[in-house]
Amino acid sequence: MKLLTCPLNGPRNIAEFTYGGEYHPMPDPNITDTRAWAEHVFFHDNAAGVVTEWWCHTASSFWFLAERNTISDEVIRTFEASELFNQRIDFVATNSKEGKL
Amino acid sequence: MTSIRPSQVKRRSQLARRHIELGAEFEHCSNLIVVKDYGSQTEVDQAKKLGLADLSTLPRIGFKGTGAPDWAAYHGVTLPQQPNTSAVQKDDSLVAKLSHQELLILSDLGVTSTQIERLEDSPIAAQTYALPRADSHCWLAVTGNQAAEMFSKICAVDLRAHKFANGEVAQTSVARANSIVIRHDLGSTPCFYVLTDASATEFLWDCLLDAMAEYTGAPVGVSALRTLS
Repeated sequence: MKLLTCPLNGPRNIAEFTYGGEYHPMPDPNITDTRAWAEHVFFHDNAAGVVTEWWCHTASSFWFLAERNTISDEVIRTFEASELFNQRIDFVATNSKEGKL
Repeated sequence: MTSIRPSQVKRRSQLARRHIELGAEFEHCSNLIVVKDYGSQTEVDQAKKLGLADLSTLPRIGFKGTGAPDWAAYHGVTLPQQPNTSAVQKDDSLVAKLSHQELLILSDLGVTSTQIERLEDSPIAAQTYALPRADSHCWLAVTGNQAAEMFSKICAVDLRAHKFANGEVAQTSVARANSIVIRHDLGSTPCFYVLTDASATEFLWDCLLDAMAEYTGAPVGVSALRTLS
């Protein structure tokens, strides 16, 4: 059985988890042009090697991050999202920016 | 034919029809209706071996958010120290900590606790959000010395007594349904509360009874659980 260690719930059957895609730091929405924003939202690196990914333990709806080697499928470590997201981000409504692709 | 029917109150369990088919005797408990027993004289012994009870009509609520633990503590809730553990309150209600920022509060079996009602009526703090667990989740109790062995058929987490202490919480898959399992012993009898999405209530009830069959497990009423606690 394949196991993944949830930072909150401990080692669990992989069937209890949902893959959430690659993690990328969010660019500053106030200074990012439309192309860079589209890159962030829609495109992924799909790198061969160690990547950081979002995973969700579905039984507890707990989202966390995992560093995984996509070549060997070895999970190097899993950690709570609060390790990276430790500041509240408030989105302030501004005038919409015209962007060009 | 029982004189008290589940349809006499607004809230009834998703299992009400199952209980009627099984010949349940119902009782009023506070302003709710629960299964008192199924007419057997040996339900307490059954619950000691392997029993399944439906507590879905009893009060429960959850709170989530960065402000939730401090807000609950301010209102007199004794918080468990670690996530995935639970703490019995002075009024016998039970508080489970599901993460650093999430609480689940379950009524006592006699519904004498007023804590849930008090919290529901209290003004909510910033960054605190109420979760209507009574509407979203069913609440079953699996009791008895054979419960952990029975669970090994349908749950990957080891729930045996020396691995899963009284008060511990496991958020995991039970019969492929996402569930919260809380060990809350009744006196010396092991007891596991199982809370699962309400839409899977009948499925889970049937799965548990099926898994319990080889141990001659059977449904028991709240009366037997109260006797053991």
